[in-house]
Amino acid sequence: MLISKRKRQLLTVITYVVLAGFAVYCMLPFLWMLVTSIKPTDQIRTLHPTFLVRKMTFAHFDNVLNNSAFLTFFKNSLLVASITTVISLLISIFAGYSLSRYLRFKGVRLFGVAMMLSQMIPGVLLLIPLYLTMKQLSLINTYGSLILAYTTFAVPLCTFMMKGFFDTIPSEMEESAELDGCSTVGIIFKILLPVSLPSLISTSLFAFLNAWNEYMFGFVFINDEAHRTLTPGVSLFKGLYQTDWGSMMAASVLSVLPIVVIFVFLQRYLVEGMTAGAVKG
Amino acid sequence: MLTLKEKRIRRLAIGFILPALLFFLLLNAYPLGQVLWDSFQIKNLLNKAVDGFAGLQNYKEVLRSEYFPTALRNTVVWTVISVAGEYLLGIASAVALNQRVKGRTLFRAMIIVPWVVPIVIAGMTWTWMLTPDYGILNIWMVELGIIDKPYYWLGELNTALLTVTFVNIWRSFPFYTISLLAGLQSVSRDIIEAAAIDGAGVRRRFWHIVLPQLRTVSLTIIFIHIIWTAINFDFIWVMTEGGPLHASETLPIMIYRYAMQEYNFGQASSLASMMLSFMAICIALYYFASSRRQRG
Amino acid sequence: MKKRFVKWSSGLMGALLLASALSACGSNNGKETESSSSLGGSESASAALDAATSPVTLKFWSALDPSTDQGKAIQQKVKEFDDSHDNINVDLQVLSYDVMHDKLIAAINAGDAPDLSWGLSEWFGEFNKLEALADLTDSFNAWSDKDKIYPNVVEALTVDGKLKALPNYLGIRALLYHENILEEAGLSAPPKTWDELLNNAQLVKDKTGKEIFGIAGAGVRSPQELIMYLAQNGVSLAEKQADGKYKNTWQDNQDQLAKASEVFQFYQDLLDKGAIKPDAKTWGWEEEDQNFVLGQYAMVVDGTWIEGRASENPEGMKDVKIAPPIYKGSPATFMEIAPLFVYKSKHPQEAFEFASFLMGADYQKAVNPSAAPRTDVVDGGWGKDFMALASQGVVFPPVSLGGITQAMEDSLARVMLKKEKPEDVAKQLSAAINDSLKNSGELSGS
Repeated sequence: MLISKRKRQLLTVITYVVLAGFAVYCMLPFLWMLVTSIKPTDQIRTLHPTFLVRKMTFAHFDNVLNNSAFLTFFKNSLLVASITTVISLLISIFAGYSLSRYLRFKGVRLFGVAMMLSQMIPGVLLLIPLYLTMKQLSLINTYGSLILAYTTFAVPLCTFMMKGFFDTIPSEMEESAELDGCSTVGIIFKILLPVSLPSLISTSLFAFLNAWNEYMFGFVFINDEAHRTLTPGVSLFKGLYQTDWGSMMAASVLSVLPIVVIFVFLQRYLVEGMTAGAVKG
Repeated sequence: MLTLKEKRIRRLAIGFILPALLFFLLLNAYPLGQVLWDSFQIKNLLNKAVDGFAGLQNYKEVLRSEYFPTALRNTVVWTVISVAGEYLLGIASAVALNQRVKGRTLFRAMIIVPWVVPIVIAGMTWTWMLTPDYGILNIWMVELGIIDKPYYWLGELNTALLTVTFVNIWRSFPFYTISLLAGLQSVSRDIIEAAAIDGAGVRRRFWHIVLPQLRTVSLTIIFIHIIWTAINFDFIWVMTEGGPLHASETLPIMIYRYAMQEYNFGQASSLASMMLSFMAICIALYYFASSRRQRG
Repeated sequence: MKKRFVKWSSGLMGALLLASALSACGSNNGKETESSSSLGGSESASAALDAATSPVTLKFWSALDPSTDQGKAIQQKVKEFDDSHDNINVDLQVLSYDVMHDKLIAAINAGDAPDLSWGLSEWFGEFNKLEALADLTDSFNAWSDKDKIYPNVVEALTVDGKLKALPNYLGIRALLYHENILEEAGLSAPPKTWDELLNNAQLVKDKTGKEIFGIAGAGVRSPQELIMYLAQNGVSLAEKQADGKYKNTWQDNQDQLAKASEVFQFYQDLLDKGAIKPDAKTWGWEEEDQNFVLGQYAMVVDGTWIEGRASENPEGMKDVKIAPPIYKGSPATFMEIAPLFVYKSKHPQEAFEFASFLMGADYQKAVNPSAAPRTDVVDGGWGKDFMALASQGVVFPPVSLGGITQAMEDSLARVMLKKEKPEDVAKQLSAAINDSLKNSGELSGS
């Protein structure tokens, strides 16, 4: 027994209170989105806002799904975010391994510094230079521009996360495999990756989420509806003189829900994956 | 001299970082170089007639700007309060989630939600909820007797920045929760039990055994979030655009104004360069200090 | 330990060196794009030859709202044009004004601008200064309908004798009022002058519990309202000087300074006498519109789009009536000329053909029945009362406004939030305007 029974009961009550508080804090805006999305227009912007829905309607969902290009945006986001995730993961597995095992080389240390520096550039300033670069690569208005940009933004963090995970794996495992004649690439794929599956999953979730939610570059690089991604697409419901709150909230709910579901299913790995990295950071 | 094997390994190491390095060089280093270069140039897109080497002129102009001290102070306030608040909420929620209570999975899922709502949407929704006349939060607060009459949280000089900070904490703390929860789960139960047998109470166990074990992970997330928060632009822009009267204007907002409103890329770049070098120096000092502590 | 730090810092230095080496290539690249875009002239000649064989695609960025009838009408009309012109394809893209500005700046800077786009009147001076806009003088003069466009609108889009943009729609502002609220307070007609408004503020508040008036204290609309009040008192932001450049002359002229100060005094009085809600001092156009739509205050100077908001509060919007804006010295209102930007493109002829379609009576009747820039379209409903004010409309001077509108917003905050003396605020704004003009090379005498 670590604590007495009375104390334990008290602790449980406190835990529930704290968790309930956090749940309200976290869910409030999301619930507001949800409630708004099923309210009729004349009940949305009133003087007496309430969480009660007097007359439920799915008109906004109907509008989003049938009268807007939402499904195209969704498909585009899925494509861009997935490819970004795969590429970022591949790149950061190797970069992370290098940072974890070969930090004794100056070049590798320098690379670590560069990755750190890249986190400090305000995105605002990248807008025009990156547009120029993309134009020179003839990538404006293609998925390629977004994938390239999002991968660049995701790689540093993913690399650091992978480095953290590799740090926790003792190198004795590799040494014996090396003696068996395994190449380094073989070691990474056959020995290290299988044991760091949770880490791979949590790293991919980061890359995916970043790409899924990005807004500014999604707008600036993409010119047409056929290539537009979700967040810029949803914000188009903010119209010329008035915001179509019902449809915007419906679209937001539809774009957030799949991610929440993915997170719920994968959250066990998320924490496990972070656990591996957390020990050594 | 390196041995042959070391040379081979070095080639391998460089090969492994090459793809990441290419991305960095193409899309980060080149703009970064441009920023540093431009910061010493007269570069105003609206006034192409004058250009050329500016020396430190841009830096001087920025430092002399009326709102620079405000923006600097706001950046510090915004960063410190955000990160501190996020950490506090993060650790509280992580400890709570680490208890063996029913519905843990559900709570964990709910706490992740703020993190997956796109910032633009979240910012607009919060702004609406905080509006005095038709925002639900004000109406609740009046009904609960917390305030006498609706208050314009985002529109008053003394609350605008803090309100956006509050929303930013809402958005970012789940990252801390997950990381810290991971840290908590890796704390060995044996040590805790041993301490309990020695008579250490709950609080004592938390402060003296659990927290020290979270040191590394805490430092890492705080460190990375200081950088991310300091350069964060979206939330403030969506919710207040830096207003009222620059009361919530941070340095990135100021950079945006120089670049996209006044088209003065010289001054925008010099401000960005100062921010960048300041952060780089802080990191160097931190690195220096921590490596000294580790050895000494 | 020390060695490690040295290595570390030398690494940083290396990165900086590398970056600066790269930046050198960067500036070269910039020059290349410039020179290639200057070749545009010869390319356009060959493009004209090609036009006979293959259709030209015009990129057109619009901020239309696809959820409204107007938005649908635009899409429909553009499609009609597209279908009836074999030699022109129109690639219509929908963007919101929020992001359109930054996107256009990035595209213009990369020589990658669309052929035509919507825009806000505040961008006109900047885009002109960025040398992005085509000279439309000759095409416009050759256009058969040119006399149908309001002459003061054409004048406002003309810089140094060259027409640099076309009018897309007009956002003329009028005084909108909830008749019921005023009647409840015993007022049979809305006030006509600033003083009448201020004198009735307490009355309306006492009788109805609501404020008599609404303003936008921040955001894009606040500078628009400020130049309207300035014009109503006979002063302007910046005046063209003998050298063709602009200058704010308040500080050189005691009379003007006094009049500008009166405007700021008016803002302060509005707040102090409870004529506006306290929150109005910092809210933007969304809150201004929303609160008026919800009947939270009696009157506002606003545009025709409020008509479209009736669906949100059908009952409360029934009593809304239109009147000319209040004034002090001379009647004036803000006339927002939303420009249709035609960029320097490879297909100037086709671009203008499409642009003239967008300004044509057919399109404007379908799309802007109450906001057309033509004299022969608006004939009834809300639009008529608004258009009657076209002759007293004031516009922004055609200079780059980014820094100026920011300074104007700041001045409103100073006078209402910080309660600074109106005269000091006027002086400060005057100086800030001239500073901004100087930075963009548009200040007279510099």
